[in-house]
Amino acid sequence: MSEMKEMRNENDGVISYELQEFKLFEPLFKWARKKSLWIVAFCTGCGGIEMPPLATARYDFERFGIMPNPAPRMGDLFLITGYVTPKTLKRIIITYEMMQDPKYILAHGSCPINGGVYWDSYNVVKQLDKYIPIDVAIAGCMPRAEAVMDGIMEIMRKIEDGTADGWKRYRENYEYYRKNQDELFGEGWREKDARRWLAWI
Amino acid sequence: MDMNEKKVEEKVENAQPVEETRPELPDTKEGRLVREIVEKAPYAEGSVRRERRVEFRVPAERIHEFLELASEKFEMLMQISTVDWLKEKEFELVYQLWSVSEGIHAFVRTRIPRDDAKLPTVMDIWPVAETYEREAHEFFGIIFEGNPRLGPFILEPREYEKHPLRKDFNTIGYVKVIYGEDFDRYDESKTNYVI
Repeated sequence: MSEMKEMRNENDGVISYELQEFKLFEPLFKWARKKSLWIVAFCTGCGGIEMPPLATARYDFERFGIMPNPAPRMGDLFLITGYVTPKTLKRIIITYEMMQDPKYILAHGSCPINGGVYWDSYNVVKQLDKYIPIDVAIAGCMPRAEAVMDGIMEIMRKIEDGTADGWKRYRENYEYYRKNQDELFGEGWREKDARRWLAWI
Repeated sequence: MDMNEKKVEEKVENAQPVEETRPELPDTKEGRLVREIVEKAPYAEGSVRRERRVEFRVPAERIHEFLELASEKFEMLMQISTVDWLKEKEFELVYQLWSVSEGIHAFVRTRIPRDDAKLPTVMDIWPVAETYEREAHEFFGIIFEGNPRLGPFILEPREYEKHPLRKDFNTIGYVKVIYGEDFDRYDESKTNYVI
């Protein structure tokens, strides 16, 4: 009993993401993650229209192992494809928290960065990075399919060298993100709203 | 056939002298339709905007009566849009009607004061009006008497209370309160707003 206590004290404040036993294979895992990004099919705003050219023959993101799938539990890459309203943001946060680690967020266009053309709108979230961590943001209104492809290459590069660490930041700074979310939605929004869609939360 | 007879009767009943102030109504199907409706409803002003597009101006207290009359020709209510005329202290409601039989799009305009924005509902004529009236109620605070589902609709509750599409709604102040202060867009000298 006392040994267990000591062990727990040893690990206080340390969050380890990789199993130490498999540290040798970590480059292989990273390569595998980079080559099998599954997209959560969650389209907001105008970027959803930019997805079909990417998925079809000309740009064909499936050759990079990217595949749209409907279940957040199986997703790795979350595309925020345009402006985000507070109502959508609630769904985005819940979906993001349902995804398994490691998970990455790619934000399209200028709206998630600073509001874009909706900079003075009462109903568009101005800085998405305050509420959920973004790994790569593509500027533009709306970025062309080449730019989105470039963003995807960028996130693959960042996965390989380990700098796509949004999911780690979300764990470590959960209080910060939670505080911002509660400021926007009001305390207890998960209990009030999210439980209506997802009974188990 | 029945309808035609009724029209003839009403025409005979409403045998008031129709003022001939609108000789500009063209002799097209739009012009004939407008003339027919305006003869039945002399309180309304009708005009033809262009091909397949007509316009009516109706005083607010007789809007329900007019729309009931117009619904004989205009089977569909397409939209209720609202314009906020801040200086004139009025809301302008535009009922957009579509006539399937004639292929004509009509705008029925009416004005109500901003302070006491109340109108009768038209749900009894077109049930679809419920949604449009809820929307106008939420964004502008217009009360449609008789609509049972007025209340928070699309927006968050705190925005519903403010009616954010009114022209006197301080958007920038609201954005600063809700989303933080650091999103202002200044010019290079940091003194004026760019937009």
